[in-house]
Amino acid sequence: MDLLALAWKNLWRNRRRTLITLAALSLSLMLIEAAHNLSFGVYRTMIDSGVRAGSGHLTIYRQGYLAARDEKLSFDPDSLADTITGFDGVAAVLPRLYLAALAQSSRESRGVLLTGIAPRIERRINPFLRKLPDAQMLTSLNGREAILGSRLLKELQLKPGNKFVVTLQDRSGDLVSEMFRVHGVVETGIKNVDKTLLLVGRERAGALAGIGHEIHELAIILNSPDAEATVYPRLQALISQFPGLEAVSWERAMPNLFNAIRLDYASQKFIFVIMLLIVTIGVVNTLLMSVMERFREFGIILAVGASAMRLRTLVLLEALLLGVVSMLLGTLLGSLATWYLQVVGIDMRSFIEQSLEFGGVVFDPVLRAQWDLLWMVQVAVYLLFLTLGAALYPAVKAGRINPVDAMRHH
Amino acid sequence: MALIELTDVTKIYPLGNQQVVAVNNFTLQIEAGEFCVLAGPSGSGKTTLLNLIGCLDQPTSGEIRLQGQDVGHAARKELAALRLHKIGFVFQAYNLIPVLTAAENAEFTLMLQGLDKAARRRRVEELFAELGLAGLEDRKPSDLSGGQQQRVAIARALASDPAVILADEPTASIDSQTSEELLALMERLNRESGVTFIVSSHDPLVMAHASRLIKLVDGHLETAQ
Repeated sequence: MDLLALAWKNLWRNRRRTLITLAALSLSLMLIEAAHNLSFGVYRTMIDSGVRAGSGHLTIYRQGYLAARDEKLSFDPDSLADTITGFDGVAAVLPRLYLAALAQSSRESRGVLLTGIAPRIERRINPFLRKLPDAQMLTSLNGREAILGSRLLKELQLKPGNKFVVTLQDRSGDLVSEMFRVHGVVETGIKNVDKTLLLVGRERAGALAGIGHEIHELAIILNSPDAEATVYPRLQALISQFPGLEAVSWERAMPNLFNAIRLDYASQKFIFVIMLLIVTIGVVNTLLMSVMERFREFGIILAVGASAMRLRTLVLLEALLLGVVSMLLGTLLGSLATWYLQVVGIDMRSFIEQSLEFGGVVFDPVLRAQWDLLWMVQVAVYLLFLTLGAALYPAVKAGRINPVDAMRHH
Repeated sequence: MALIELTDVTKIYPLGNQQVVAVNNFTLQIEAGEFCVLAGPSGSGKTTLLNLIGCLDQPTSGEIRLQGQDVGHAARKELAALRLHKIGFVFQAYNLIPVLTAAENAEFTLMLQGLDKAARRRRVEELFAELGLAGLEDRKPSDLSGGQQQRVAIARALASDPAVILADEPTASIDSQTSEELLALMERLNRESGVTFIVSSHDPLVMAHASRLIKLVDGHLETAQ
């Protein structure tokens, strides 16, 4: 029998109270871990979907393009794209050019974002093009086929196979027009995108705008978001040899998505903090009650020679044990919940009929968790420290007990 | 040198706006090996005197020495160390720790002293055999009779080989036959092992076992025989 064993036995004096406190701590930890892992999974899926359809995990632009979206800030990607494709951790490099244009059918006209792409690579990566039947996919960099957003098609009153004209201002300032044919239709679920999306081969778009092979964006898709730590420094080193270019991460390239996630997670964190605070008050109450109930006994322990420090240590050990058991139990329950949310997920389709859009990105209506092990360990350790923190006041109070007063107490 | 020396000891407690003199200008010497009984009616200052001798409380004025060491003005930490190494306590209500077994209660002070488990167990086995507690080591206090609990309390007090054992009304919660057995045991320990006992009581049975009877009235020393 030593102080730790005594602390453990003390913990079970009032079994019901200890079990209620343990349940509160463990269930809070479980909820926090499961909620975080679910958000982590959803955010990762959204980011993956966002970077594949959008800017990539990392992107190269001409300096100033990101802020101004000035079509004149284009660059020749050829030598860069080949080098970057060879980097470890890089899944694909997607050259794109974006041109503001007017699309006209025989009945309607609409402003569009003419996007020049490399169809073969883009189909492999872009989640919306992946769903497109082979027959609707662009076949060359230089063809007159076009893929339109579903709303744009409707608004222009076009059908697959119909022709339409695209007019834009070329590099020299002249208005130029080109005829295209509807070859495919894409529905992203994002209203604004479906209203303005017009995809064509990038060489055809470049030729129309009078910029040849140049592009506006070189989107780099990584095998995993974790590869950014190794790829980004190499990219920076490479870019330093190309004056006027800059490499940015998706957080900068897609601030809407990044800020939406940040805001969403901040509100979650606030709830986590409130939850932990409430639980901490419960722990303070449990430990304080436990100290007050043993006022006389603590007096006896002091009388037979225990120092005040020994008594404080005893109370802190009781809290430590409570924290360790809650930490283990909560993490076990949190892991089970995460496993369930990962394998089965939460199917939102029965609640929401339309596709879910968040931060300009459409995400899977079946929400699935992903493991964030480091975070789980961190929050479990926070819980342990919170429990110890909650024990400080009761421990100090126990150490201040006067044995003579305590032994008179009944 | 006497084991315990009290010189002009006074203890005054505040009680609301008033001051209560619990021990008044008390002088006494107790030698090693004595079996002293502090006798007197309730409120005569017995418990206060035991608390002062037991380093649980400090005098308002006067001097208290234990084995020559001034304990009347020692710091809280020093007092705790003195209680741990030099003083054993037996309380009226036994005051065992309910979640510990009889053996664990008895070895509690040895655990505080930092003795290893094997040494603690050896010592407790010796004591339990000597005090007639063999076989009760693993019982919880709630499974023991009043007399058995008080014996465990004596084992706890004896475990660390203290210079003196202070017992505050040790027979107040047990029947007369068990009291007689307990007092016989304490007397035997005093006679055979030379342990000094200072017992506070107003029970004539306890007084009958005293080698020295110290009578108190209103915090004063009335007689010392």
